[in-house]
Parts: sequence; structure tokens; C-alpha cells
Amino acid sequence: MQHLTNRAKPVDRKPMTALEKLYLWNIAKGMWITLKHIFKRKATINFPEQRREFSPVFRGLQVLNRDAEGRENCTACGLCAVACPAEAITMEAAERQPGEEHLYREEKYAAKYEINMLRCIFCGLCEEACPKDAVYLSETFAPSNYQRKGFIYGKEDLLIPHPKLEPEAYQQALGTRAKRQEKASSN
Amino acid sequence: MPKIFIDNTSYEVKAGKNVLEACLTLGFDLPYFCWHPAMGSVGACRQCAVKVYKDENDTSGKIIMSCMEGVRDGMHLSIDDKAAKAFREQVIEWLMTNHPHDCPVCDEGGSCHLQDMTVMTGHDYRRYDYKKRTYVNQYLGPFIHHEMNRCIQCYRCVRFYKDYAGGKDLNVFAAHNHVYFGREKDGTLESPFSGNLAEVCPTGVFTDKTLRQHYTRKWDLTSAPSVCQHCSVGCNTIAGERYGGLRNIVNRYNAEVNGYFLCDRGRFGYEFVNSENRITKPQVMHQAVDENALMHHLETVLTNHSLIGIGSPRASMESNFALLDLVGKENFFCGVYNEEMMLERRITDILDSGKIPVASLKQIEDADAVVILGEDIWNTAPMMALAVRQSVMKTGGREATEKTPMPEWHELAVKELQQNTKGFMVNVTVTETSLDEIASLNINAAPDDIARLGFAIANHIHPSLELKNFEEAVLAKAKTIADELLKCSNPVIITGTSCYNDPVLRAAFDIAAALKAAGKAPAIAFVVPECNSMGLAMMRGHAFDTAVRRVNREPNVTAVILEQDLYRNLPAGIVDEFLSKCRNIIVLDSLNNATTEKAHVLIPASTFAEGDGTLISYEGRAQRYYQVYVPDNKYIRESWKWLSRMKMIISGKANGHDPHHDSVISSLETALRQFAGISAAAPSSGFSIHGEQIPREPHRYSGRTAMLANRNVSEPKPVADGDSPLSFTMEGYQGTPPSSAIPFFWKPGWNSPQAVNKYQQEIGGDLIGGNPGVRLFVKSSGNMPEFFKDYPEHFRERQNKWLLLPQSHVFGSDELSVYSAGIAGRSPEPYMGLSPVDAKMLDVTEGSQVTIKSEKEEYSFPVKIVESLRNGIVLVSKGLPGTQGMSWGNWVELAK
Amino acid sequence: MITFSENKLKEAQRIINRYPQGKQKSALLPLLHLAQDEFGGWLDVPAMDYIASLLNIEPIEVYEVATFYSMYNLKPVGRHVFEVCQTGPCMLRGSDQIIDYIKQRLQINVGETTPDGMFTLKTVECLGACGYAPMMQLGKTFREHLNEEKVDQIIEECRSKAARNN
Repeated sequence: MQHLTNRAKPVDRKPMTALEKLYLWNIAKGMWITLKHIFKRKATINFPEQRREFSPVFRGLQVLNRDAEGRENCTACGLCAVACPAEAITMEAAERQPGEEHLYREEKYAAKYEINMLRCIFCGLCEEACPKDAVYLSETFAPSNYQRKGFIYGKEDLLIPHPKLEPEAYQQALGTRAKRQEKASSN
Repeated sequence: MPKIFIDNTSYEVKAGKNVLEACLTLGFDLPYFCWHPAMGSVGACRQCAVKVYKDENDTSGKIIMSCMEGVRDGMHLSIDDKAAKAFREQVIEWLMTNHPHDCPVCDEGGSCHLQDMTVMTGHDYRRYDYKKRTYVNQYLGPFIHHEMNRCIQCYRCVRFYKDYAGGKDLNVFAAHNHVYFGREKDGTLESPFSGNLAEVCPTGVFTDKTLRQHYTRKWDLTSAPSVCQHCSVGCNTIAGERYGGLRNIVNRYNAEVNGYFLCDRGRFGYEFVNSENRITKPQVMHQAVDENALMHHLETVLTNHSLIGIGSPRASMESNFALLDLVGKENFFCGVYNEEMMLERRITDILDSGKIPVASLKQIEDADAVVILGEDIWNTAPMMALAVRQSVMKTGGREATEKTPMPEWHELAVKELQQNTKGFMVNVTVTETSLDEIASLNINAAPDDIARLGFAIANHIHPSLELKNFEEAVLAKAKTIADELLKCSNPVIITGTSCYNDPVLRAAFDIAAALKAAGKAPAIAFVVPECNSMGLAMMRGHAFDTAVRRVNREPNVTAVILEQDLYRNLPAGIVDEFLSKCRNIIVLDSLNNATTEKAHVLIPASTFAEGDGTLISYEGRAQRYYQVYVPDNKYIRESWKWLSRMKMIISGKANGHDPHHDSVISSLETALRQFAGISAAAPSSGFSIHGEQIPREPHRYSGRTAMLANRNVSEPKPVADGDSPLSFTMEGYQGTPPSSAIPFFWKPGWNSPQAVNKYQQEIGGDLIGGNPGVRLFVKSSGNMPEFFKDYPEHFRERQNKWLLLPQSHVFGSDELSVYSAGIAGRSPEPYMGLSPVDAKMLDVTEGSQVTIKSEKEEYSFPVKIVESLRNGIVLVSKGLPGTQGMSWGNWVELAK
Repeated sequence: MITFSENKLKEAQRIINRYPQGKQKSALLPLLHLAQDEFGGWLDVPAMDYIASLLNIEPIEVYEVATFYSMYNLKPVGRHVFEVCQTGPCMLRGSDQIIDYIKQRLQINVGETTPDGMFTLKTVECLGACGYAPMMQLGKTFREHLNEEKVDQIIEECRSKAARNN
């Protein structure tokens, strides 16, 4: 058979000597590596007592954003869904009716917005695609669940608390995002 | 063929075209807005600039608008030239200065020509940072949503609405940067072609309001090629679905049929598919049953009874044939009366003889004269009326440009030369119609007199009969018309069944035959009532009268009624009699109606959106429509599938499997020779390209793993389609599919409907691979046609009797489209039209109630006085509530 | 319904008769001017509908034209209408300042009328008197080489004329 590459490395097939057959040196070498790690810092933490600090670019659970007055930002344009490599987002648009101006920021809104978290790979492309700052990835994990259908997140699971009606919950949900945004805008 | 050089490469192009058309035909991406292949060039948007050089040595060149320059042999031009590119980018930059950039909320987003062109030119950064001008939007009725801020002033809307379609209530106001396109004030757009604005507008100023009510992006639709169900023209459509509901209908280009446009009935009449009134479960004796119980019951009623079938003019060929196959040819009837049946038989006989070719819409558009005999095509076949309008306008343009040569695409110049010159068109109808304003001659007469005029015209062109008792006035009119027709080369004669008068059909044929004898190339078009009336007529079933006699004679009959409301077309008394005599009544239909209420066994049938089928249009063109989506409800299946199951029950070969579409079509071809060739209307289900099927979903389709996750987290395998080469997924062949199986128009960089450019052999010409559909009346015979000689007597009013004729309405007369709220809202109140003299004689005024008495039925309507109506005729609005079962074409009594 | 006076109707008929049969729509511009003169210096919807009925065309065709030209006023205007040219040459010669000055003098914005119904300020495109820029049209005459003094003068002139007539 022809070689598939020209990078074939010739292998040394010369028989081992008696000393080599004892593997003493190699065993010592391995033990040394193990020993060295006893004195190194631990790679694991004691979750959940201890929690790791997230990187500033950590991508967790999606949040559907509201503006400062509590109106939903999402206009159901569908760009997050089309950007999603896992095809895990689906939505249905509806038209804002007169009198609903305090609920939705623009003339259309998502009547239904669902993410299949089993499929989501938290790549953040939805956030990147969103022209309305309506969806972003927060710092929380998708919590575990006993049932698979519990991972289908609807609007009620995703929407951020109302900033005026539930200011505390809103601040909590916002996490460090507000600070980060402030920092980004001051830079 | 002229040879032109584009960026120093030579190309052969067709003479008489403009540079833009030539470039697009060659596959170049050149941006444009105001030019439209059906409407020509006006050079308004300045977007299609290219550089043209004097000769090969010229290096500086000059910028021209490619849509306003014809191709010349040896022309040197550059699309990629720096200056031309910069020009195009700048043009779009200032077109966009006032555009709201609201794509996320705009319905057009993702299928927007403006988006495509902006990307194509490379404009990506807004430098103009002043305030944008804003407008107040208008309410434009139930079909069209108005959002004027998005406008880029291309003028396509008014050019289509006013110039192309003859609408009067849309116009352009003001000047400079505050040009406004709209109505004079809020109100419904009156033209029945207003829906095309949504496709003609390159951006989101005019959008489909019905889609807006259940909005879905174009890229999220599962769509399939379809055929309009709402008249006999057979316009090609694309139907789109998401979440188990039909979302919209858009145009599917077919150069020989509807071209770039649809009428509003076809575009917005789809809501019946999503109707609450759908039949969802099989019922036995009004009790919902499951499939086993249904099959069990069917076994008892189908065997040991003699079967008769009532075929339907709005069911597919497959379903009608499956019924014929089930009951046998001699037991196959049509749901129409003998009189109507004879009319349709006359039409198929004439067309089948091949003496006179049948005119496609394209041929009507290209005709240099049109004679309409007794059919109000504006209301019965709106797209045909639009084609007639084009014929009149184009012929006028051709006449005007005879002296001053001007290419046809040079729209404004041609219009300027043309002024009021119009082609020859005679509109002979029972009463005034919307086409009157463009007709050279309008004649309103009773059906028999229409026929007499027709015979007189034919006789003038080619004396073939002795005319007796003809009034001088009629002969004089006939002479004028005949003389004009003799100046033409390819006239078209249009008529139809609306007059319920056989002599009218014969007269139309005689005119065409006489013209042929005079060395012309005439064509003829017969408008029939429903989308598959022609197909049903070609099957040559017996009339309903025979079925009634049959059940009166035979006690043990099981009747299978296919997709129709008998009470709609036939007098209630007769239908009641028929149904009461049937031992068992099996009805297959998609919507509940008066007939389904009488069914002993009711079987839910699919609509065009949930099933496959073939329809035969007025021109005998067999066109395939494909299933758009698989409904959740597993009982909703094509009638032909249910009927084939029944057949298996009878023959004892039931195996629980449905037959395939291919096998039904091939047995139709072998069983009924007149349908030979129908299988060529679409590729067979095994068809694939490089082993791939054609995807119904664009590759950008989103939410695949999430859409159904709320119901079931485990993703099911995509449903396989055993009936067509289309798949229900986004995977498959991404190139250009065969022309009869194009589920959507998309090409890289072309997301809007304008992508159709890339599917055409030449711009505005045939689709690659030929236009969809097979014309079944193709055999042409060289023999001179034989004339019909028996003309009717002069129409005479009868004492206390009136001839009952239908008045059709674009919105309202069609059974299915009125399920759309917008169409129902625009349909008129039922009324009865009387001539002023008759009204006076009956001593009634506008609005007073008058009762119509036919044999068994009585109807009461408010009177409308119709000036143009002849005495002795009563017109009743067709198909509207309360007008079911009228015996059109019969004499009735009137009483106050 | 509003109608022309008998004299004007005759005048209108004369204008319409200038054009060949089937081209009556050509008389639209002069008729609109006539109507504007007759009906208080501006065109309301009934006036335009009346013109449409005279020419036997759809009202929407009249609106199309009337909204296009700046010469037709679709709102009531004052007794004196200052139509200041703001096209290139006039702008270079200081039409912006003139407009600002008029605004300030009359306490109105472009397109508005003074509360006493005396003056209306409009800006228009080139009136073809670039050699005398900056200029404006007042009634049927051009006022040229404008400066602040001239504007004052014109305003005074108008006021005194009005006082005389009253």
C-alpha cells in the first residue's frame, strides 16, 4: 500500500535490553510525576460549598431582556433562531395592540418564545444576532431537572423580572451585567 | 444576435432587450428597483448604473442606467467599474437616508429586495445623521398593510396598481423627499389585484396583512408549489406553512399562466385551510369514530350495495378518478345539472377537436384583438381580465410605436407615444363589467342576442350561413367588429359558461373558426366555474339528473359524494329527494356544509395544502399541486387515498397501506385515454437529483429541534413523502429544481421574490426546463373547422317570467375563499338586479324585497336597479349566502 | 357644494376648450390656479373635487397634482405670502438669513401664518431669478436683492396697503 502521507516516522524496533525490561527507570519516572502533583494546587473545588468564579465571558442560561421601563425588548424578528446552530430556538410573532405599549417596546413581540435547553450549546450566537439587545446569556447554569420536558424553556422561564415591579429580583437576574455594561461604555 | 462585451468578456445577447435585462439573463448580479420585467423601465431609481465605453480603446467611459439603454452589437460595458460601483453604492446610500432600518419588525425582512440590493452594492454604514422624515400610514383594507416610512420612492406600486392593473384609488402625492404613495384617505384598496403590491414593492411599504396576523419569516416557512383553487385559470402559487397552519400564498412564476401576479381571491383566499369549520374526524351517523370502526362500517355499506359516485369540480383529478375507479364508469356522475353539463361537454368537444387552439393567459396578453362573449371575466377569472388589459395596452403601444420605433421595455416613452391608443377589444356581456372602460366597444345584451351577434360577426368574416331576421343594428355592429378583427393576426375569443347558454359557446367557436378560415391565427378561451371543472368535464361522467333517476329506480344505493356541497349548485328540493332515496350517503370533504350534514358516513378530506393532486385549468393544462405539510390530524388525507382504501375493501385486498400518487396517476392515464400525458405535469415521486430530494424548507429554516419540543422532547424522524420528490425537511438538493416542483424562489443574494430571475431562461421568459403544466388539448387538426349553423332566435321577454342569470363577484362568489375574513368582508350583500323598465313594471324601487319563484324554491332579495341590463332578465349575485341552489339559466317568476 | 362664479366658469370653459377632446385633464393646472384665486387663496378638498368634476376625472388625480406643486396652497394662507427661494444661488447669497429674519420679525415658522392672517412664510425652489438673489415672490411680483432693510420695507408696505384697503 502506498503511504498516505510523506510524514511517516520510522519506528525503532530494536529489542529492549535486560535493564530496560525491568522497567525500573520508567516506574520511577511515573512515580515522580505523581509525587510532584501532591504538592501542586488542587484542580477541583468542593462544589457546592465552594464556587468557582466565572470568566467574564461565561455563557449561561439565556435571558429575555426588558428595557428600563419593563417593556419586553424582543420583537420576534427571528434572527436568534436563524443564527442558532442547534436550531433550538423557536418563536411566534404577534402584533402589539393599542394599549399594550407598556408591555412591549416595539410594534411586534414574541407571543411564544421557546428554547430547547437540551439542544442549546450555549454558543452565544443568539445574543450576537439580536439587534434589540433582547436575548443575552446570563451567568447561571441551566438548572438540572427530573424531566426532559422541563428543559423546554418558555417565555415565563426566560423573561427577566420586571425592573419596576420586582426591582430586587431584577437586579439579581441582571447580575454583574449592568456593571460590565457600565464599564464597557466608560471605556 | 448582438454581441456585447461586459468587462472585456464577450457575450451573445438577445436583440431588443435593455442592458439590465441582458446582464441579469447572463447571470450577473446588478441591483435595480424601479425596473420590473412585467412593467418595463422608467429609469427612476438610478440603481442599475453601469459604465459604457465608446469602443474597446475608450478607457474613461460614461455612466448610464442599464435599464434605459438597449443592447447594441459591439457594445462595451463594465459592471465592475470602480466609478459605476461607487455610484450604485451612493444611490442606495441616499435611498436609505430616510429608511427606518426597522427590519426586525418588518414583515418583509428576510425576503426584501431592498435588503438584498443594499448588501449587493456594499452599502453598510450610514453617514447621514439628520432626522428621518416620517409619514402617517393609512388603513388600506383587510389585505394590505401600509408602512410608508420604509418607502424608497421607486414608483413601482402606482405603476402596477394604476398602469398595469387599472386601479384608481392608489396614487402618488407631493414631491421632493416627502413623496407619498397611498390612497386619498384611509380606506380599502378596491382593485382585486392589490395583493400584488406586497410582491411588487421592493421593500416593506405594502405587506400582506393576512400573513401579519400569523407572521412567519420566509425562511421559516415550509412551502410547496401549489395551484390556486379559486377559479378555473389555475394560477401557480406557493403555499407556506408553519406550526401546522397555512400562513400565506405567494406567486409562483409561470410565464404561460399567471406570470408575476395573482388576484386577491387567490392570494388571500387560503384561510379555509385553517378554518374552525374543518372536518377533523371520521363520523358514522354523526358520531365520531376511529379508523377501525370507520373501515368496518365502510365494509358493510360498500359491499352488497350498488355504488354511485358524485364527482366534484373542485376536487383533484386523482380524487375524481379514484371515485370513478371505485364506482365504475357507468356509475360516475357529476354534481351538476344536465344543462350545465352539456355546456361543459360542448367546450371539451370543441377543444378536443383541436380545430382552434386554446389561449393561455400569455397568449391572451400577446393577442392583438380580444372578443369577450357573455362572460364577466373580471369576476369569474380575474387574472384573465388582467391579461386582457395587457393585450389592449400592449397592442395600443405596438400601434403607436409603428411610426416611431421604440423598444417595448421603454415604458414611459411608449406610453407617451401611445397616449390613449388602445388595442381592439369588444366586451359583449349581459351587464356592465369592470372591463368596459378599456373596451373599444361595449355591448350589453341577453345571452341569445349575444350569441346572435357572435354568429353575425362570424358570418361577416366568413359567410357560412344565411342570417334571417337579424336587425340592421346588430348586423352593422357585427360588421364593424368583423372588419376590425380582419385587421388583426392573432385575435383571442373569450367566452364561458356564465350565460348558461350553449349558442354563445357555439358563436364564439364560429368567430374563431371564421378567423381561421380567413387566414388568421385565432385562439379561444372558455371560462368554466371551478378549479377542476375542466378536468371533471373531460371525464365525461353523467349529469346529476341521471343520478336522481337512478336512485329513484334502484332502492339499495350507496352514494359516495366527493368534496362538494350539492346544495350549492343544485336546487334544494332535488338534492333532498336524491339524498333521501340513497340507502347510504358517504361524503368526503374538508369543510362542513349542508351536504356533509346529511352524510351517514363523513370522511375528512385534505385541502390542497395537506394533499397532492392535479388540477386541469380552463386551457386543459394539467398542473400538479403538492402537499405543503403533514397535518397533525392523521385522519386528514387526500380523498383519493380514502377512496383507494375503499376500493381495497371491496376487492378484499386491504393491507392498511395507502396507494402512491404515481400509481393513481398512471392508472388514470391508462383508464381514460383523454388524460394521456398527465403524468408529465410533475416529476414522479422517485425523482431525485444526485440522489437528493427537493427540500420544502429553505436551508435557513430555524427552530427544527425546538418547534415540536413542547409536545415531545424526542425528535421524531422527518416524515417521508411517498407521493412527490419533495422532502419535508431543509436537507436536499440546493440547486434549481425542475420547474414544476419549485417550492420557493431563493438564490444566494436573492432572498426576495425577485429571485425568480435566476430561475428563468431569459428575464421575463420561460422557466428553466419549460413552464409547469401539460396541456392536454394538444392535438391540432389541419382540417378547416366546421361551423355551427343553428343560431338562436332573438331574445324575447316573457309574460311574468324572467331569465335567471348569475352575477359573479371576485369576492364572495367562490365557495372556499369566503372563509377568509377579509374576502368575506368585501363580498357584497346578496341582491337581485333588474332593468329599470322591469323594476318599474313590478313597481319596485332600489332596495325593495322581491321574491324569486323557480320550480320548487323561493328566494327573496333586495332589488338593485341595473341600468345596463336588458328587460326580461333577473341577475342574482352568485354564490353569496342565500343564493345556493338557484337554477341559473331558467325562467323564473318574480313577486313583490 | 362650492362652484365657480359665472365669469370664472366661462373662463374655466375657455381653458378646457384649449385642449383636444379626451385631453381635458391638461387643463388641470390653470383650473387649480383659477380655483385658488377664487376660493380664498387655497385649495380645500371640496374645491379640488369640484375641479375633478369639471374635468370629468377622479378626485385622486387632482390631489396628486395639487400636492406636487408648491404653488398650490393646501392650507389657508395669509393675505400676503412670502415665497422665499432657497435653491443654491439664493442660498449662497444668504437666503437662510433672510428666512431667519422674516421668522423673527413675524414670529412664525416656515409654513405658518401670522395670527392676524396677514402673512404666510413659505420656502420654495428656484424661481428663475438667480441673478437677483436672494429673492422671493410676493403675490405676482418678485422682490429681489433682499436684505433685512428691504424685508422690513416690504412688511411695512404690506401692512399699510392692508390698512388702506380696510
